Amino acid sequence: MVLVLALGDLHVPHRAADLPAKFKSMLVPGKIQHIICTGNLCVKEVHDYLKSLCPDLHITRGEYDEDARYPETKTLTIGQFKLGLCHGHQVVPWGDLDSLAMLQRQLDVDILVTGHTHQFKAYKHEGGVVINPGSATGAYSSVTYDVNPSFVLMDIDGLRVVVYVYELIDGEVKVDKIDFKKTATMLHS
Amino acid sequence: MRKKAARAVPEWLNSPLWSAAPPVPAPPDPYGADLSPSSSPPPPPKPPPPTPPVPPPSYEQAVGSSRRARGEAVREGEDDDDDSRGAALQAHLLSDFKLALSKKVINTGELRRLACLGVPDGSAGVRPLVWKLLLGYLPTEHAFWPHELEKKRSQYNAYKDEFLLNPSEKIRRFEKSKLLRKKELNSEKIGLLPRSVVTNEEHPLSFGKSSLWNQYFQESEIVEQIDRDVKRTHPDMPFFSSKTNQESLRRILIIYSKLNSSVRYVQGMNEVLAPLFYVFKNDPDPSNSASAEADTFFCFVELLSGFKDNYCKHLDNSQVGIRSTLSKLSQLLKRHDKELWRHMEITTKVYPQYYAFRWITLLLTMEFTFNVCIHIWDAILGDPEGPQDTLTRICCAMLVLVRRRLLAGDFTANIQLLQHYPPTNIDHLLHIANRLRGSF
Repeated sequence: MVLVLALGDLHVPHRAADLPAKFKSMLVPGKIQHIICTGNLCVKEVHDYLKSLCPDLHITRGEYDEDARYPETKTLTIGQFKLGLCHGHQVVPWGDLDSLAMLQRQLDVDILVTGHTHQFKAYKHEGGVVINPGSATGAYSSVTYDVNPSFVLMDIDGLRVVVYVYELIDGEVKVDKIDFKKTATMLHS
Repeated sequence: MRKKAARAVPEWLNSPLWSAAPPVPAPPDPYGADLSPSSSPPPPPKPPPPTPPVPPPSYEQAVGSSRRARGEAVREGEDDDDDSRGAALQAHLLSDFKLALSKKVINTGELRRLACLGVPDGSAGVRPLVWKLLLGYLPTEHAFWPHELEKKRSQYNAYKDEFLLNPSEKIRRFEKSKLLRKKELNSEKIGLLPRSVVTNEEHPLSFGKSSLWNQYFQESEIVEQIDRDVKRTHPDMPFFSSKTNQESLRRILIIYSKLNSSVRYVQGMNEVLAPLFYVFKNDPDPSNSASAEADTFFCFVELLSGFKDNYCKHLDNSQVGIRSTLSKLSQLLKRHDKELWRHMEITTKVYPQYYAFRWITLLLTMEFTFNVCIHIWDAILGDPEGPQDTLTRICCAMLVLVRRRLLAGDFTANIQLLQHYPPTNIDHLLHIANRLRGSF
């Protein structure tokens, strides 16, 4: 039972001041084992805050990140799953599922986590699953102003993943969940 | 004259039974006439045991004489004699036990009497059975044993399932039982993954009272504490370094803490659990040894039920908490050995909470070596007066046994002595504890 927090596109301080208070009250240290962040934090203070939630932090570089040392892509293995991380502004057209599938095959991962569009998405194709946790602060994107703050918490348990989606809609936190298993086609990789 | 005698040492304390040096004959003074008549001729180094002048009740006589015989045998230090006498007594006791245990309906009184004499060690495997009977885990009718054991062991398995799973596993089982087959279709379809609503705030970051996740994280602190303590239990013994045994101890303590929300887990419970588990796991009967964990759990519950109040913080100052137990110890000492009591409590101000706290809450597991401790537990569990009272009497006996050194020492020396209690002859100790009987 491994809890992995996936979030990104906070754009602090340029487009948003901070995470919504309701999100912050839920995110307490000690519960989460890993954090994967798609990028665009943008400042060191956000990095330090995330580090205080969980020491195992993975970040990839977004186009507005002030720390230039983050990598463009990252892969890691948690339990039975290989996860890939990339901000997503590199993949054109932005948010296009086929292009992202191509990136996923290149990285050879079961779950690809990307951002940039600031819209939550969970999509399955033959190569695996693509998850976009959206923007944790609800910052406006290059495409639209209408953004609900959202992030994702994955519970990886053996060959099964339960994805909990936390969204702030009209001031209330709504939680949904998505359930999927690693299938035979995915197991070939 | 008479009133001064009340402060004097009771004469049975001055008998040569447990002091190495013969007692100094009292100087001729008007108060000395009532004291210790048996001390007037200083006894030769190897005397026949003098009978106590006060006629003791019959139970005590039976226990006292056989204990003294064993004590004498050990004290005289003649190895050949000692071994043969000791071995003969052990064999005799073993056959007594086997007789008592083979009856269709066990006579508990008889068993208790034998247990107070000390359960023989060795591979006869009598001790696990005796302890299970004394703690009430097994009923007295022989015929009901298989049924009871079966029932209790399956109950323990149910507890394991209920309390030891993490929330992911629990939710998965719950869903499986509701036959949510629709989920299977997801594995083959391509496209946006369907979202389902989360009910009852059942998500990992929830703070809801009924949320499985919330309860899990709140209890994780206790679980971590149990983990740490289990790893530190008796590190010198290979039995407790084995991973499987540590896992068993861990499971027992976690289940106990979940079932008893008033006490949860207190540091030290692992020490009380250790001898129980050791004895049951080393049962020569393989079917018993395999289910040692389940048996230990129920016996642990039974044993702690008498002592639970000592562990409750908010009961500390009440009639039943640890403070009242300590004051009972103090009162017992005062009644039997006023001189020592006065020296401890008034002159040197060595109060029971400085030394007896650990003695009582850990049932003497940390004061003696492991094997000695198991022997003392034979008496604690076997005594008809009950574990609480017996333990208090044994603690008082421990004080009386080192009274010379205590009377000679100041605060620091006495605390030092009592917190690192010197190894002593257990039979002497238990004999003195016996003498203090009937004073509650």
